[in-house]
Amino acid sequence: MAFIKNQTPEPINQEERKHERDCPNLLAQLSDPNPTARRWAARDLINCPQSAVPLVERLKIEPDVSVREVILTTLTRMGDPDCVAGLVACLNSEDAALRNEALEAMKQLPDEVAPIMRTLLADPKSDVRIFAVNILESLRHPEVESWLIEVIENDQHVNVCGTSVDLLGEVGTEASRKPLERLKERFKDEPYIQFAADLALRRIYEN
Amino acid sequence: MKTDVSKSKIITAEDFEKFREYFYRKTGICFEPTKRYFVDKRLIDRIEATGNHDFRSYFTMLRFEPSGEEMQHLTNLMTVNETYFLREEYQFQCLVDSILPEITAAKTDRKPIRIWCIPSSSGEEPYSIAMYLLELWGGINSWDVEIISSDIDTGILQKARIGRYSARSIQHVSPNWLNKYFTRIGDEYQICDDLRNSVEFTRVNLSESADTRLYRNFDVIFCRNLLIYFDDLSRKEAAESFYDALKPGGCICLGHSESMSRISSLYKVRKFPEAIVYQKPLEAR
Repeated sequence: MAFIKNQTPEPINQEERKHERDCPNLLAQLSDPNPTARRWAARDLINCPQSAVPLVERLKIEPDVSVREVILTTLTRMGDPDCVAGLVACLNSEDAALRNEALEAMKQLPDEVAPIMRTLLADPKSDVRIFAVNILESLRHPEVESWLIEVIENDQHVNVCGTSVDLLGEVGTEASRKPLERLKERFKDEPYIQFAADLALRRIYEN
Repeated sequence: MKTDVSKSKIITAEDFEKFREYFYRKTGICFEPTKRYFVDKRLIDRIEATGNHDFRSYFTMLRFEPSGEEMQHLTNLMTVNETYFLREEYQFQCLVDSILPEITAAKTDRKPIRIWCIPSSSGEEPYSIAMYLLELWGGINSWDVEIISSDIDTGILQKARIGRYSARSIQHVSPNWLNKYFTRIGDEYQICDDLRNSVEFTRVNLSESADTRLYRNFDVIFCRNLLIYFDDLSRKEAAESFYDALKPGGCICLGHSESMSRISSLYKVRKFPEAIVYQKPLEAR
């Protein structure tokens, strides 16, 4: 036996690439029974600007983890308002995996998520507001601290404020000091808020 | 007059940002602001070499030149090709002692073992693999092996095909192997034709799905010290391309400072005695 050279790349299985690669066919392949065909379609749809909505719809029901990952990567790479809206909708899902996947994808889109961050932080559901704070954790955006300050100044939900305080302990500056003190006043009877706010204040002081 | 010309060839922060964004989109390679000197110097060289007057005219040419020749030329200059024979050798040991025995034991056909090295750089890695297989893997007597080595830099691929190396490059090769596989020519070392003919070198842009979709059914992929130059999203895209390139049960070896677990959840972590590698699950499709 020996080393061999194959001058042409391994031929792609024709059965899996049975359709043309134009946008309507790629969209149709998102429902193909074969996960490889669905994964390849999800990747190639990056070149089809109108595909965010069907990609999100597929994401909601897609059972194969490798297809889900590629759909999320394509949505993140596209990053248009439809993608962001679709990801936001996933934050309301009952499916914890889908919520986390959407959250991770949104962390990669600081400029696209920034315009809707205030809306997310004002969502009627406290869970969604907590997710929004979780997104801020890794969102590289200059407004992160001021959004967190708005939360601890205004939000009535202890868990939303608690999550925000935890993050302010990492990113907070002198600008957070007074709001943190006011938060302690607002939640006088909440030991966790007292503890977390003191910790954040200490870190700000040390920095 | 001279001052005017050199002034016009200064790369401003805005130019750098524009170029950085474009180059990232095309190649997945992300230059941090700390790389300004490295990037600026090469851009200015190319502005001069192509007869352009300033960044603006050069950038227009770069973007709209139908042949893409200048983009390739610039890519060749912007990529780092520092490597040497038997670098991170423990992974080659893992290949012959753990990965290949497992893969061949599970094989149900007699198709060749397929190995993909990306980035190829000047060929030290694929040739190291070929030597390791010949010297330290008994299976080479029973199995055909294909080694395909790819890089975005066409200049470095040509160098790899020629196979001539400096003393620094071969410093970890034992005298025995050196004697067997190389011929000394002045201060340099020429790799033998048998090894040169054992590796197929191809040009691939890992960030271009039209390129990577042609690469399928690999048993092992070596992608070492490349993803460190990518940002998070490009790394994830690369991991997904490798997933499609591997056969179920196939393995990927990354550089010692890189971890697939931080990039993608698609792979299974395999802790072999010699190294940690990442495996496409056997049940995957």
